[in-house]
Amino acid sequence: MAALGQRSRLIYLPVSLAVATSLFPFAWMALSSIKTLRELYTVPPAWLPQAPTFVNYWKVLTESNIPRYFLNSLVISTGSTVIAIALAIFAAYGFARFRFAGKAWCEAFVLIGQLLPTAAIIVPLYIVLGKLGLANTWLGLILVYLILTLPLSVWMLIGYFSAIPVELEEAAIVDGASRVGVLTRITLPLSLPGIVAVVIYAFVTTWNEFIFALCLATDSRAKTLPIGLSEFSTEFNTDWGAVMAASMLMTLPVIAMFLAMQRLFIDGLTAGATKG
Amino acid sequence: MSSRNPQRTGFLFALPALLALALLIVYPLLHTAALSAMDDSGRYVGSRNYERIVASSVTLAALWNTFYYVGASLVLQMTIGAAVGIMLNQKFRARGLARSLILVPWIVPGIVAATTWAWMFHSEFGIVNYMLQTAGVVDGPVGWLTSPQLVLPSLIAVNVWKMFPFVAVMVLAGLQAVPDSRYEAARMDGANFMDEVRYVMIPHLRPILFAITLLLLIWGLNGITLIYAMTKGGPANRSLITPIQIYKQAFEFFRFGEAAALSVMFFGVVLVLIAIYIWLLGRRSET
Repeated sequence: MAALGQRSRLIYLPVSLAVATSLFPFAWMALSSIKTLRELYTVPPAWLPQAPTFVNYWKVLTESNIPRYFLNSLVISTGSTVIAIALAIFAAYGFARFRFAGKAWCEAFVLIGQLLPTAAIIVPLYIVLGKLGLANTWLGLILVYLILTLPLSVWMLIGYFSAIPVELEEAAIVDGASRVGVLTRITLPLSLPGIVAVVIYAFVTTWNEFIFALCLATDSRAKTLPIGLSEFSTEFNTDWGAVMAASMLMTLPVIAMFLAMQRLFIDGLTAGATKG
Repeated sequence: MSSRNPQRTGFLFALPALLALALLIVYPLLHTAALSAMDDSGRYVGSRNYERIVASSVTLAALWNTFYYVGASLVLQMTIGAAVGIMLNQKFRARGLARSLILVPWIVPGIVAATTWAWMFHSEFGIVNYMLQTAGVVDGPVGWLTSPQLVLPSLIAVNVWKMFPFVAVMVLAGLQAVPDSRYEAARMDGANFMDEVRYVMIPHLRPILFAITLLLLIWGLNGITLIYAMTKGGPANRSLITPIQIYKQAFEFFRFGEAAALSVMFFGVVLVLIAIYIWLLGRRSET
């Protein structure tokens, strides 16, 4: 035990280094977002803001499209997550509880969907959405984001459903419950932590997504926050204070969500890898 | 489990999701293949798009950049991530807090990471140059994203920062499944910490490390956001990777046929990697 005690004190140095490296850019973003323009553009850079100000946030909230993009992001991420979870619950239940011909192929197909390079299908998606009149609409992006959220949700939920004892369900079936009744009244409540983890993952994934939105949302009706942010910083004269404030506004919801549900999220994420 | 017609029931449960994926993935893939053999007015042109893409010197350079970016990122992400995962598995105070804080880079949206690092890399006002100059590492301001030699290494550094937490968490989860008796046995044999890493942890982690490697590989091959937002593939295509080349062909030059041809070739390469992944995964669950 002596060796362990010694080791535990030595460990603080690398741990602090790793945590500092992880957090520094986020801290710098937060600090930059409350600096005045003059302070942002000084050499050498000032570590701490002399006169903290919320003027950058005010600018982002009143003079830019960011509030509209925030709404778009919220609607699209929520919509896509809800549809993905609904479809995934049924699919994962089918995969976890039944044997049927071609099941292995169907599962492999879902896995491929998860690993597909998005660049390979973006051109047809652009053309097809245009033809269907879904370009620049909430619905168009909600559907497209199912590509990202659905396979993953199915895959994570299979793990959760498989872990629930079959006997519980069998008893209910003997008592005359239907399959869907068993699913909604027994399996779902028992796997609630898993569902929460999948919901967070799906929501964060769509909230953070950039490339689909860049190609498929070309005006402010459907542009999401990541696109709004890239527009700020690609202008010739970047207003870095506003960019950092917008970055904070975009990051805080996902960080808050993550910290609140952290335990569930990490367990859900790692379940597949460690059980496989 | 007994049910009147389990064969059909299971499939019916899965059907809506399978249909949605087929419409969203299979149909666009077929459409890509068709586009790759057409010109922009929809006429059949055979392999002309492919020939043009292969003949373009940009294609080869982008492919090389892709391998460099993904390969170097992967090695560093795995090494640093595994080390941090092992570190977080040790007993120390505030371990839970360290574990959550370390995940922040992975949670931060890719575009936010890109803009923040672009600001930190700013050659005049950036904090990175300031810190390095103060520490005496560099003499003057360095153009991290504008120098042809430094742009890819800089982007790789950001990519490693973004993804090492994922590796760390997965490794940590794997290590927590190692029974204590294995460490005790090793210590009885006089093993020091490095021996434990080598003979207890790594063998136990092998399947997980393998799965993460392939996941990171595929995510890396997909990862447009960081590079596109920070350099758009520049300067002079020095950070252009194949997915960005596809994007530019299609949405900047509006050469959909050539973009589709490149997509098909790129998809072919990724599909081979996925096939290997699924095959090895299947072999793993059999043993």
